[in-house]
Amino acid sequence: MMENAQRLLKVLKMEMTYEEQIEELKGIIEKIEKREAGLEESLILYKRGMDILRNCEKYLEDAELKVTELQDSGMQ
Amino acid sequence: MDWFGLEDNPGEQKIKSVSEISAIIKKRLDDDSLHGIWIEGELTNFRPHTSGHFYFSLTESFQGRDYLVNCAMWRSSAREVGFKPENGMQVRAYGSIEVYEPHGKYQFIIKELSVVGEGDKYLLVAKWKKQFAAEGLFNEEFKKNLPAFPQRIGVVSSPSGAARRDIENVISRRYPVEIVLSPATVQGDNAPSEIAAAIRRLDGLVDLIIVGRGGGSFEDLFPFNHPEVVRAVFECKTPVVSAVGHEIDYTLVDFAADLRAPTPSAAAEIVVPDKKQLLNQLKSHEKALEDSINDRILREMELLEYFRTRMHPRRFEQAINEQFERLDDLFGRLSHAITGNIERERMTVDLLRASLGASDPKKPLERGYCIIKKDSSVVRSVTELFRNDNVEIIMNDGECTAIIEGVKNGNDI
Repeated sequence: MMENAQRLLKVLKMEMTYEEQIEELKGIIEKIEKREAGLEESLILYKRGMDILRNCEKYLEDAELKVTELQDSGMQ
Repeated sequence: MDWFGLEDNPGEQKIKSVSEISAIIKKRLDDDSLHGIWIEGELTNFRPHTSGHFYFSLTESFQGRDYLVNCAMWRSSAREVGFKPENGMQVRAYGSIEVYEPHGKYQFIIKELSVVGEGDKYLLVAKWKKQFAAEGLFNEEFKKNLPAFPQRIGVVSSPSGAARRDIENVISRRYPVEIVLSPATVQGDNAPSEIAAAIRRLDGLVDLIIVGRGGGSFEDLFPFNHPEVVRAVFECKTPVVSAVGHEIDYTLVDFAADLRAPTPSAAAEIVVPDKKQLLNQLKSHEKALEDSINDRILREMELLEYFRTRMHPRRFEQAINEQFERLDDLFGRLSHAITGNIERERMTVDLLRASLGASDPKKPLERGYCIIKKDSSVVRSVTELFRNDNVEIIMNDGECTAIIEGVKNGNDI
């Protein structure tokens, strides 16, 4: 359980990459669909899945273009 | 019928046929000034045929207008051309204008083709290509994978060019991230060293680098064939995507890069995912997640419902009634069995009584016999009796005592 709590914290802090989060989400969906978890655990997994979804959506929606130009450092 | 009054002025307004006109055109073009001549121009619309013939145009931009001559080079001549014709090349062609009379079309039929001035540059590129290939700079095993979700993208291009603008537009639309522009001039003699330096500056600062520029002639794109640039791309530790010119333009960086994109816009599309698509995927994941948990809960509810019906009082009543009936049945059988047994026992007792009665020892006494006892034992033989013995005589209806007076053995009589 300790490991799971740490993973959730990582997700919320965006320390996991977008890809890793999507993989975790897919895993959660599969676990619930295949009834690999008990009912209570399934509900907990569902909540984590929704947290990941919200996080990913926010990440995409907040994304902004930022352009930086390097100095020529002595070219001209 | 002279409808238009033409017969009055023969030769002036005679109506000609198409074939007549075609013949006139052919005759007019059959001129020394158009036969056995050299033409110089830019090679465009190059279309190699599977037959081996070349079809292209020679063009010139003169005083603001574009001029064009359609050319054909038959296989027998095309085979002899010592280089690969490419659009944008400045060439000289030797041949003649010929008219295909039925269609009224003219073409410049070329016997010889050569490249102007930049010929040595083409040879140089061919030489470099062989050299780099031999060094292994183009080998697959050195190609790196691109990250799927880059956070910082480097761009090596002219700051004022269309390429940089296109890349920024596409990325902004698709998946906005941070772009780091490392500026460099992209044509001219200084270009190769500037481009190479720009690449090196970015190496390690970003997740991937796009190196490119907009379309142009062979001359314009030449810096991207230069060893300095090719080596800088090969040695770069960050993945490099080449995006030079248009779809049909190939330069040596394209072979050294980890990935070639046909244009700068295409490069931007390749290196980042589409935000809209990702959001759609998230939507369908959300639906899958909700469906899965709802299904799960529904299943549990169905199970509960099933158990509830099985626990219904009616079912218990039924079970109890069934048990009652069983009891009744057993009780009946038990009673029946017991009664039967009792009957049988009674019969047995009667039988035994009868047979017992038959062997009743008291029966002979009724006929007058008596039992003699001496010392409480039954006497069976006269040899057991002696004179003056006290004996008991048991008769049918009572007993008496006696003293023996005399004994006679039956054998002696």
